[in-house]
Amino acid sequence: MTAPTLLIRDLTLGFRGWAGQVDVLHGISLHIMKGERVALVGESGSGKSVTARIVLGLLQQLKTARIGGRVSFEGQDLSTLTERRRHALRGTRMSMIFQDPTSSLNPVYRIGAQFHEVLKRAEPGISQADARRKAQAALADVAIPDPARALDSYSFQLSGGMNQRVMIAMALANEPSLLIADEPGTALDVTVQAQTLSLMRDLVEKHRTSVLFISHNLGVVREFADRVYVIYKGRIVEQGRSADLFADPRHPYTRALLAAVPRITGGGIPEIDDVSDSYFAPMVVHEGCEEPGEAG
Amino acid sequence: MTALLSLDRVSKTFTQGRHEVRAVDDVSFDVRQGECLAIVGESGSGKSTIANMILGIYPPTAGTIAFKGEMLPAARTLAHRRAIQLVQQNPLSSLNPKRTVGASLRLPLDVHGLGERSARAARVGELLEEVGLPADYASRAPDALSGGQRQRVAIARALACQSDLVVLDEPTSALDVLVQARVLKLLNDLRKDRGLTYVFITHDLSVVRNIADRVAVFERGRLVELNPTETIFSDPHHPYTRRLIGAVPVVTADEVRLRDRLMENENERA
Ligand SMILES: Nc1ncnc2c1ncn2[C@@H]1O[C@H](COP(=O)(O)OP(=O)(O)OP(=O)(O)O)[C@@H](O)[C@H]1O
Ligand SMILES: Nc1ncnc2c1ncn2[C@@H]1O[C@H](COP(=O)(O)OP(=O)(O)OP(=O)(O)O)[C@@H](O)[C@H]1O
Ligand SMILES: [Mg+2]
Ligand SMILES: [Mg+2]
Repeated sequence: MTAPTLLIRDLTLGFRGWAGQVDVLHGISLHIMKGERVALVGESGSGKSVTARIVLGLLQQLKTARIGGRVSFEGQDLSTLTERRRHALRGTRMSMIFQDPTSSLNPVYRIGAQFHEVLKRAEPGISQADARRKAQAALADVAIPDPARALDSYSFQLSGGMNQRVMIAMALANEPSLLIADEPGTALDVTVQAQTLSLMRDLVEKHRTSVLFISHNLGVVREFADRVYVIYKGRIVEQGRSADLFADPRHPYTRALLAAVPRITGGGIPEIDDVSDSYFAPMVVHEGCEEPGEAG
Repeated sequence: MTALLSLDRVSKTFTQGRHEVRAVDDVSFDVRQGECLAIVGESGSGKSTIANMILGIYPPTAGTIAFKGEMLPAARTLAHRRAIQLVQQNPLSSLNPKRTVGASLRLPLDVHGLGERSARAARVGELLEEVGLPADYASRAPDALSGGQRQRVAIARALACQSDLVVLDEPTSALDVLVQARVLKLLNDLRKDRGLTYVFITHDLSVVRNIADRVAVFERGRLVELNPTETIFSDPHHPYTRRLIGAVPVVTADEVRLRDRLMENENERA
């Protein structure tokens, strides 16, 4: 058996502050096989984005962060890599769509120049003209109506959803083997969202890309993900195949979450507490979805 | 019902080198006192541009905006700035990274002289708790918060001002549905207790269904349909509205049936 594209085992994270350490992750384990689409869903503030940042090696630089456990990418323990090799992976074999477009798009460069930089990471000698042609096609793929104008724009001249699509296009451009998508569709209308999801799905199938898909939109998760991990306050509480988990949610937190999804059929805003002792109940693992053995 | 806010033939064109962008194209509508008006539609259809014009961040290229029957001037007074609040689409850029969360929430209380000076620190803690955050988050910097935590701080700050109108641009996009339910309840309660009025911009039609009184649908800078929420979801008039509702990702079988029924009608019409 080949190693999973991503394997996270017993990941812990704390932040040191003047009032002592605040623990954020309490031992997270998850894995993504080649070509698999895996969703991470759960509470706001539960540790989804920090997990993604650790995989990319971005949180390791923060002095206050205390990280424990193991993260392997294609069978290689990331902590054994030099910062230079890690940097070489980012944007090529591993790419990320960040939750906040403004934190990854630079406001002082036009989109076209930033796209050129992205393409250079995989193809250092690419010409300006080739880069522009590729970028234009990539933006058209994510339904940007006037790609030439978008490339000539600064990010503040584009709408929230256009910036998000620019980031999606950039993240897909170099055909990574691991794509981390942190809330990629929050600023997209449902028709454009469907289009970008099907683009991602095509890419995954063509290149056997593995996807870590972080989202609060459970309808989208249900349609997109093969497997789902549910996280609550830094702990995985339930995991299983999408179809099983949505049909038969077993952990009290997952049940509450699914019951709280507003319905297009109406019925008002659901009355369910966002805190409860029962949400700390032990983890539930659906049949056949255990983490791979230590040997990986 | 009287109009709190009226847009009359408002347009906005951006010139950007050789490109000209007609972001908002001849749009008129009223926002009624005490209602929740949802604005939905295509990404890039001018929703945030409308929000920015309501707030006076930039003026319309053509047309006028009136608030409580009076034309809003390009330079807003302190009273206007308090009466109309905005929760920006992007919570990271809307919070000053150099200020603690507490200082960001405290600022509008000081500027507008809200409440007793001695009670303001406690008020900041209350505001945080109302959006489901511990009061001690006041001492944190915004970059030590998750996306959804920042979004909640931005909401708390807008609600701190005891304003008349709050424009919310994708206010719950970074919240899990449980926390979202808490925030939507809070908004509903404030509407009942203080008569607050909302313009609620979102792509989440399931939220719209459960919180809005009326829905305005935008496509390419134009208002294509404005109807009561009931009508939008049971008998949508414009083909674009039907396409939108037909594409909502859902979680229950009932919802799938509603979606299919609307799409069937759409195919019959076509
Ligand atoms: N630099 C930091 N210092 C201290 N605490 C931090 C820091 N960065 C993040 N945190 C805390 O870590 C927790 C996890 O944050 P993370 O951004 O991973 O949440 P999330 O699951 O992505 O939430 P959301 O859905 O709201 O985006 C949060 O409670 C947050 O307050
Ligand atoms: N400052 C600006 N300069 C040039 N063009 C702009 C500017 N601000 C907005 N635009 C353009 O106006 C159009 C409408 O943008 P707006 O942000 O209002 O869309 P939106 O409906 O909020 O979309 P989304 O749902 O993606 O947030 C877009 O084509 C955008 O590129
Ligand atoms: Mg996050
Ligand atoms: Mg917008």
